Amino acid sequence: MGFLTEIAAAVDNYRHFVDTQVRSAREDAVVRQEVIQRWQRVHESMATTLTPTGLKLPRLALPDVDDPGEIARYLYGQGLPGEFPFMNSAYQQMYLSSHEPHLQAEEPTRLFAGLGLAEDTNKRFHYLTKQQKSMRLSTAFDGPTLYGLDSDDDGVFGKIGEGGVAIDTVEDMQRLYAGFPMDAERFSVSMTINGPAPIIMAMYVAAARRNFGAGVIPKLRGTVQADILKEVQAQNEMIFPTDASLRFLGDMVDYATRHMPRWYPISISGYHIAEAGATPVQQAAYTVSNGFQYVRMFKDRGLDINEFGPRLSFFLDCGLDIEYLALGRVCRKIWAIGMRDIFAANDRAQRFKLHTQTSGRSLIARNFKNNLTRTAVELVLAYANATNSCHSNSADEPFTTPGAEYVRLAAQAQAILLEESGLFKHMMNAMNGSPGMHAVERVVEDAILAEFREIDALGGVLQAMEHRYQRSQIQNAAHRYEKQIWDHTRPIIGLNRYREDGDDDGHNGQVKIVRTPRRQKHKQIERLRQFKKRHAKKAPAALESLQKVAETGGNVFEELLQTVECCSLGQITGCLAEVVGHFRPTV
Amino acid sequence: MAKTNRSSPLRILTVVPICDGHDSAINTINLELVHAGAEVVYMGFHRSAHAVARAAVQEDVTAVGISSYNGGHIEFFTEVQAALKELGGQDIRLFGGGGGTITKTDATLMHRRGVDRIFFAGDSLDEIGHYVMETYRASTAPKSPTALRTVRSDREIAKFLTAAENSTNAKASSKAKPPLRSAAGLRSPLVIGVAGPGGAGKTTLIDELALRFLHADPACRVAVLSHDPSLVGNGALLGDRAMMIHAQDPRVFMRSLATRGQAGGLSSATERCLRTLKMVELQNHGRFDAIIVETVGIGQEAAPFEAALASQVDKKVLVMSPDYGSRLQLQKIAMLDAADVVVVNKSDLAGARTASNEIEHRLASNGRDQRLVPTIAKRHRDGGVDKLFALLRG
Repeated sequence: MGFLTEIAAAVDNYRHFVDTQVRSAREDAVVRQEVIQRWQRVHESMATTLTPTGLKLPRLALPDVDDPGEIARYLYGQGLPGEFPFMNSAYQQMYLSSHEPHLQAEEPTRLFAGLGLAEDTNKRFHYLTKQQKSMRLSTAFDGPTLYGLDSDDDGVFGKIGEGGVAIDTVEDMQRLYAGFPMDAERFSVSMTINGPAPIIMAMYVAAARRNFGAGVIPKLRGTVQADILKEVQAQNEMIFPTDASLRFLGDMVDYATRHMPRWYPISISGYHIAEAGATPVQQAAYTVSNGFQYVRMFKDRGLDINEFGPRLSFFLDCGLDIEYLALGRVCRKIWAIGMRDIFAANDRAQRFKLHTQTSGRSLIARNFKNNLTRTAVELVLAYANATNSCHSNSADEPFTTPGAEYVRLAAQAQAILLEESGLFKHMMNAMNGSPGMHAVERVVEDAILAEFREIDALGGVLQAMEHRYQRSQIQNAAHRYEKQIWDHTRPIIGLNRYREDGDDDGHNGQVKIVRTPRRQKHKQIERLRQFKKRHAKKAPAALESLQKVAETGGNVFEELLQTVECCSLGQITGCLAEVVGHFRPTV
Repeated sequence: MAKTNRSSPLRILTVVPICDGHDSAINTINLELVHAGAEVVYMGFHRSAHAVARAAVQEDVTAVGISSYNGGHIEFFTEVQAALKELGGQDIRLFGGGGGTITKTDATLMHRRGVDRIFFAGDSLDEIGHYVMETYRASTAPKSPTALRTVRSDREIAKFLTAAENSTNAKASSKAKPPLRSAAGLRSPLVIGVAGPGGAGKTTLIDELALRFLHADPACRVAVLSHDPSLVGNGALLGDRAMMIHAQDPRVFMRSLATRGQAGGLSSATERCLRTLKMVELQNHGRFDAIIVETVGIGQEAAPFEAALASQVDKKVLVMSPDYGSRLQLQKIAMLDAADVVVVNKSDLAGARTASNEIEHRLASNGRDQRLVPTIAKRHRDGGVDKLFALLRG
């Protein structure tokens, strides 16, 4: 029996445990007394707040029950916010506005950006953070960077700076975050990079070291996606074979755990799984099972779960299907139970920290301003699931790298929801606990656990991947989704319903299409060539040293911190591929 | 020239460009085209313009469909066109799509440069299927291979193969044979037949063998004849290229064949195509050094390299994975009697040792010189594959 089956059994056991607590609360006078007293304490200690119209509201919404059994069901089954099994939220307070500045939580809004050359994206970052106290930069890279290629590699010219920023060297990385306080508490980055994640992260550390000295390393705050498993299952941005990629990832997590206490070295991602066509349940099941697989691997490597566990974070897609009403809630519960009962993790490591992005796939070019509404609905669902941070997509995304106008609208949609509307700022859990939400929770949870058992029957996450299980399941779901659109059983407004001639698809020239001009692409290539020329003497020895570390099983990430000083991304991936080979794609 | 069967299926190549892994749309479109009756050679994602053009020419497709979601499409389509021209494949048509990422303005420019059609979000799968079948069906005119003493290009080889594949009878095809010079001084290619059940790892193994051929001799030229099954409605998804890394090398000529209704692991045209490949004389090189023939996933009763092919194939390789079932199952596998080499791939799996022992025992009872090689083809520089390569090269 694999650990996924054990986790599924642990979740089942936990349900029995809750049932037992409910019964005892009803039948056992001592337990009943305890439960009622606890409930009273929660009510007595509850802070209140005033609405703008002067009404007094509790800071936390609780179910209106006085039956001890029902109270027990709530306290054990869902847990108060920030309490096991964390169904309501990972932390006690989120999004609440406060008049005391030191209690003000950091803004959960994150906006993903990346275009053109490093200095172009840098400019966008400064624009986005102009009015924010805390600076949270989320970085998108262009195709060549995602595939570990250099901008001067054969056949990639058209891709330079498209869909993300072009990064070839540590100097590009310095340009990317120029003018930002990389050493400050209020500054953090997130980098969406997977196949070459260790190399790009090494460039980030090296860039910070160049600007702020070696003492900056323990202070660095940020997240690197580095989710290899979902790449193989869905996103296809792999460079090295799976086992070698996992080994390099382990080296990076190992280093971060020891030297970078504020760094999240992996963001276990369902977003791309969902965008590739997975159903919400598949997204959750594959993501959370991938998470447990990483835990198993890092533990086997000898890392302390209570050290690395709290540095794991998750990234889910939020679309319009009803499953999203409770997807994050169910994931938090399964994660907490698995971490506590199967991996013996402590309280901090049991908390499923969630970043959400609204669904890109749900947006369409036709009548694209409807995308504002789609994203707004998805935002409500995301925040109802108590996401710890959130990116909202721009309405113009189906046809261009987002332009400033629609980026601003997307960011302000979150501000409207959190700051202008009263839904989230006055009280915790205002939207939670409806019978419908519970109904969704139950079926989603059962379906996820069924997937866990299925994956285990195939030999676990890695074996199932070898059998292409996750891939083919995702492909089948994608195919069904397309079919449903074309037979109109899945309504897409403006596409297969209420369609009118002359609907704006963003291509009429009124919306600015963001592209990287050719001269900029040439500039990047020229800069890279200069870099290579300047380091032509040092690079061969650095690459040889890296190769040796890779061959002898040393920590590749630690070595990369030196290699990136004089070698480009493409030089490094080429060197490592000689040792470990290339990823073999599957269909 | 050969009488080409007018109803031979339309062949289309589909691909996702370099630095792009968005394969969700193309996977769905592939299925649609296959159901509409096309033979779709799918190259997978993250493929360079040169690799795409080479594959299109080698496969002698009528058109290439490119699904691009990551930007840079104008450049990429243009590069593919230029590369096709370089290889003499300027008559191969292009179409494509990219959801909303390709704008109408881009599409207009691309049309002007000779791209037939760009599909947008909102165009239905039916529409795409119809367009491709209607537009390209009409242009599947039989092409006459030029008779030259020496074959100069992939293009010419590909045309000979098309003639061989589509000819309705063996007699007709003999007229389309490439020039045959006196055999003096010309080595015959080493022909390796690779068979085995689906999922045993044949394609990976062949790709790794191709790599070793390329490494062993910097002038070496390899051909691969790969098979995938046709559906009843006569379309087929020819997907082996999508999993290949080294077979994308310019020194490898790869052709994907659909079985077109033939049972047993190969096509009725395999023998004609193989004869053609064996006779091809490359410019400044002589013949191919090696030709690898890959069957579809075969069943227990199949013996694909017997009968007409027996004299054409030098080494018969059976690839198995350790999970074939019980010992009794081994008795039923016909090719265990015929194979020169039996490969137990995925020998890192539990039970591989037992499998090897059982198969060894089974082979011993044949009393012939048959070899058993355990491999882990997915592993970089696998020693087992090295051993297999040495064995096959003799």
